[in-house]
Amino acid sequence: MRLYAKMAAQNIRSNARFFAPRMGTEAGLIACFYIMLTLAMDDRMRRVKGGEYLPTFMWMGVAVLALLSAVLMLYINRFLMKQRKREFGVYNVLGMEKRHVGRVLFFENLFSSLLSVAGGLGAGMIFYKLCSLVICRLLQTDAVAGFYYVTPGTVIPTAVFFLLLDFCIFIFNRISIALMKPVELLQSRSAGEKEPKVRWVMLGLGLVSLGSGYAIALATQSPLEALAVFFLAVLLVIVGTYFLFVAGSIFVLKTLKKNENFYYRSQNMPAVAGLLYRMKQNAVGLASIAILATGVLVMISTTVTLYAGYEGVLNKNYPQNLYFEAGFSKEDGTSQSLSPEELERMVRGTADKNGVEIKAIEQNEYLYAAYLLQDHTLYVSGEVDDYNMTDVGNYFFITADTYHKLSGDTVDLAKQEIAVCSMYDPSGIKDITGTLTIHGTAYDIRQNLYHFPISASYLASSFACYGVVVSDEQVLNDIYLAQKEANGKYASEMTRRIAVTFADYDKAAAVGDSLDADLRAALKEMSDEGDVIQYNLNTRWNAKEALLGMFGTLLFLGVLLGAVCLFATALIIYYKQISEGYEDRSRFQIMEKIGMSHQEVKQTIRKQVLLVFFLPLAVAGLHMAVVFPLLTRIMRVLMLFSVKLFACCTLGTFTVFALVYVLIYLGTSKTYYQIVR
Amino acid sequence: MEILKVSDLKKTYTSRMGGSQVQALKGVTFSVETGEYVAIMGESGSGKTTLLNILAALDKPTGGSVMLDEKNLAEVKDSALASFRRENLGFVFQEFNLLDTFSLRDNILLPLVLSGKSVAEMKEKLAPIAASLGIEKILDKYPYEVSGGQKQRAAAARALITHPKIILADEPTGALDSQSSSDLLRVFEQMNRDGQTILMVTHSTDAASHANRVLFIRDGVVFHQIYRGDCTNEQLYQKISDTLTMLRKGGEVR
Repeated sequence: MRLYAKMAAQNIRSNARFFAPRMGTEAGLIACFYIMLTLAMDDRMRRVKGGEYLPTFMWMGVAVLALLSAVLMLYINRFLMKQRKREFGVYNVLGMEKRHVGRVLFFENLFSSLLSVAGGLGAGMIFYKLCSLVICRLLQTDAVAGFYYVTPGTVIPTAVFFLLLDFCIFIFNRISIALMKPVELLQSRSAGEKEPKVRWVMLGLGLVSLGSGYAIALATQSPLEALAVFFLAVLLVIVGTYFLFVAGSIFVLKTLKKNENFYYRSQNMPAVAGLLYRMKQNAVGLASIAILATGVLVMISTTVTLYAGYEGVLNKNYPQNLYFEAGFSKEDGTSQSLSPEELERMVRGTADKNGVEIKAIEQNEYLYAAYLLQDHTLYVSGEVDDYNMTDVGNYFFITADTYHKLSGDTVDLAKQEIAVCSMYDPSGIKDITGTLTIHGTAYDIRQNLYHFPISASYLASSFACYGVVVSDEQVLNDIYLAQKEANGKYASEMTRRIAVTFADYDKAAAVGDSLDADLRAALKEMSDEGDVIQYNLNTRWNAKEALLGMFGTLLFLGVLLGAVCLFATALIIYYKQISEGYEDRSRFQIMEKIGMSHQEVKQTIRKQVLLVFFLPLAVAGLHMAVVFPLLTRIMRVLMLFSVKLFACCTLGTFTVFALVYVLIYLGTSKTYYQIVR
Repeated sequence: MEILKVSDLKKTYTSRMGGSQVQALKGVTFSVETGEYVAIMGESGSGKTTLLNILAALDKPTGGSVMLDEKNLAEVKDSALASFRRENLGFVFQEFNLLDTFSLRDNILLPLVLSGKSVAEMKEKLAPIAASLGIEKILDKYPYEVSGGQKQRAAAARALITHPKIILADEPTGALDSQSSSDLLRVFEQMNRDGQTILMVTHSTDAASHANRVLFIRDGVVFHQIYRGDCTNEQLYQKISDTLTMLRKGGEVR
């Protein structure tokens, strides 16, 4: 046993070129895994302002990372095993049985696994504090006290997951060794490959798929549709990319080869023939790199934009500082016990009590009621017998005047006209167009809106949510009264909404919690006495905390996962370069024997490497450029309207990405030259 | 006319740690006339490969000189070496050294491509050579699709296509079966009849018996040589094998 262990250690040392990146990668993945898992479980982080989003997003990240780790480790392993088959063959010929080779493999795996886990957990613990500081910074809160947070609850699952993953890989390798014949092991690297044929069907499908993906991305105008078709477009583009890399690359190379005056040039012939020869195995790898790169770009640029633009979202949704909404019943437009004057007095009183000055108070009314939507008609429950849960929706009704006041935008509506905003639908958002019949009156839908000023607290319910703008007070009142009659004792009441702007926002935000509590108490008192049915309180500072929490956590997740993907890209490239380097070495040796100078060999290599490297980057850039309009529309659903901001963030992300990519190129091509020379 | 003149060629290898020295060539002198077909024989370790590497300008001698068509190889600059070899020398190797990424046609054309010749010129040169070697029909095949003999004929075509001053062949029949070997040797004879100068290193008596002249190398020196004279291939074969027997017994040759 000691002999096998010794051999294993020796192998790891002498194959450092293969093992070091593998162990480094695994350690990096473990560190990220550990950090995300700890962030998901650290109670101190959850209690930070805005930290309530951490567990959800981090668990999501852990799941994605687990999948990514498995795929990446399997990829690396497949590559390592391919390179080492010859070595195992030699062992076999030298008289070691497969079970002995298996033992050496076991120890190799064990050592590299233990080293990776130890290194990864160590790095994770060291960088955890840094990451928690970064998150606190992103959430704009004070850092949590205390330095290290280490519990068995996160260390053990991380170690177990990766040790188990490595063990599965070992079992996989052991089986594949058992199935191999020694002669095959010795020869496996020198098997000839047939020149690939152009696959016309695949080429056609690839073109159609990519073309339609692009067309969807470019043609979709409505943000809601954009959200709905996004995944279809992504899928089409991915399929198109794979097909075009596999079939298109061969088509292009064959066309180049047919052009004799181009092909029979010393700087072109070796590169074209070499690429053509290995395109079959290369195309999938290149397509993967292109898609990973696009994924990194989308992930980082959108999360960066959202985070950088949270202020704009806040301004759009919370132009004032504090809102509260109280439902009350009223006949003929007047409240029985809750007059606007009374409410204003209450708010001012609370503000005085907390020592903050109010700059302005605005009041408006809206109706919030549930309906069933069938055939462009809204029914109250009991009016139809046969319906699906997806027909059920919550509806906000406001006047055009209120809409203008709250959003700053104008809608021109005649008496019989309405504007509709589809805010949320768990089964996929769709616009209502044409007409909408409400309590017997058919209204023409003059336009669809993509942003509705009253929403924040009602989103994310399990029912669809629509906003309806009607022409004036009278129409709103008609609907309210008709609804009241139809629903009887389950009727919805009018909601009075008060928007407060403070003279000194920061001062008010500082006493936000106390303002909150006092207002709630005062409202409770009022509702006990009168007929206030329900109330609701939203503040800009709470919304800011929530937005920062959500976007900040998303940014952290996006950047971390983006970095992991970028690293995966680098690794795929690195291993590809190395394996190709070994294949190419003999080829270039032959060319030198025949009379190719060092200089020419170097030029040829550079041409080949450049093409293989920068094609995926160019494709990723193209994808990103085409998907950009679609993404801007989707960002609009998330209330982010600044195309300029998004464009800057995307361009910045691409630049950084390209720089890192060039660094990877310089690093790996150096290794390649060393092998080939 | 002398196309190749080798005078007092010496090569000493020093082991990496600078300790022991091995003299591979101790002063080899011979010359090759234009249109000659010379075979060099010798056992493993006799210095054959070292000699061939120096003739091919892949290695530099520690003493003596090699003159190719009155040009001293030592005077060719490193930067011009690749093109010098491409234009003046043709190579046929034991293990063929065909590129698996190229079809036979592209393999044969490679030296012309590297020299920057026009496509029309390439085609013009390829046609007669492919015809005389009997490989016109398999030009679009890849090396792994054809037999060893066909590969070696393609390699010979690649050596011939630049019309080199001399073809250097290193154990060209070493990896071939006997039928393919004799086919290839006939090809070499044919090439030589067409005026091509050939220098072949081999330890196959059969291969050497096709040459005009056979040089024997032992312990780094030219030990003996046999001229064909009026001999048939069979008679030359007999002479060579007699000589080899003598050499093996360690005796002096009459």
